Amino acid sequence: MITAEEEYLLIDRILAGDRNLYATLVDKYKSYAYTLAMKVLGNRSDAEEAAQDAFIKAFHYLKGFNKQAKFSTWLYRIVFNTAISYKRKRKPAFQSIENSIVEYSERADNKTEQDDKHTFILKAMAKLNEADRLAIQLFYIKEFSMEEVADMMGQNINTIKVRIHRARLRLADELKVILKQEALTL
Amino acid sequence: MNKLSPAKEEELLRYLDGELDAVEKTNLEAEIQRSSLLKIRVEELQFVRSFLMRKTTLEAPSKNFTHNVMEGLDSQPVMSLFSPRKGLLLLLGVIIASVICLMLLTHGVFDQTTTSLIVEAPQNKWMQDVTLAIPFNGKILVNVIIFLNLALALLLLDRTILRPLFQKRTSMGY
Repeated sequence: MITAEEEYLLIDRILAGDRNLYATLVDKYKSYAYTLAMKVLGNRSDAEEAAQDAFIKAFHYLKGFNKQAKFSTWLYRIVFNTAISYKRKRKPAFQSIENSIVEYSERADNKTEQDDKHTFILKAMAKLNEADRLAIQLFYIKEFSMEEVADMMGQNINTIKVRIHRARLRLADELKVILKQEALTL
Repeated sequence: MNKLSPAKEEELLRYLDGELDAVEKTNLEAEIQRSSLLKIRVEELQFVRSFLMRKTTLEAPSKNFTHNVMEGLDSQPVMSLFSPRKGLLLLLGVIIASVICLMLLTHGVFDQTTTSLIVEAPQNKWMQDVTLAIPFNGKILVNVIIFLNLALALLLLDRTILRPLFQKRTSMGY
């Protein structure tokens, strides 16, 4: 695991011409970048393409990286913006969170009550407005702080806080409604 | 069934996130013990929270992800100021403006505009009542505008349509 200082040195060496070292940065952040793109695009192949594109963009813009900021935050902003522009370009091909419900439920080996609840929450999540859903999904990706989510989405931290709280309350409400409906159909 | 106030719900979220101080926490816990409504709501919010924390794990990209990125470093990212649609509209606008200018030019609209710009020089004790005459040809000016328009049209064609198109084709392996 490389530290922030080592990361800055690495960036200096990449800028000095040792471009193969960029693979170290890609390896370190690829899972985060891919997950982030997945949250925005909801589609594996598009997410992979967008995340790769974002890394290529980041490499070309590396000279402009201000070392007062964290490299990860800077990179995630590029990934987020790239994913958003992919989404705008490929609107008809966009798969909503409902598609991932199938994916998750297929993964479930045993249909326990807990698994059903997870499916219900994913259904409830699909009902959230897009910005709230993105904010809550990004916030609960490991290591993304509220400041980072705000920075990535280009929004005020208070707005993000409101979005996340509202989304959590709404999810709890939706879950209650869905569970009631399920109980009635039994 | 009574509904909780937004302030109470906010307090519950802060409680679950561990943001309440010791006194607030003790008070709220006592309140939760007394109210079944609060107890149910805490359970619901707790479930949502634990689900979100557990379910949102990192996804792994394909094995050749890093290799693909390193391979693609030589391709310049598409840096277009406008979307292809906006670029096309702007391009059409520039072409229409150029065509109108050309039509006006061929119909001789600017033939009569050859004139002189007369500028009155500031008067002082050495220069009195002097006017400067600069020859001005409207036809040349319009020609320059048309030329600049065409240059802009070519630039737009390159940046917003052709370059992104060919980069996309290259990245798709055509």
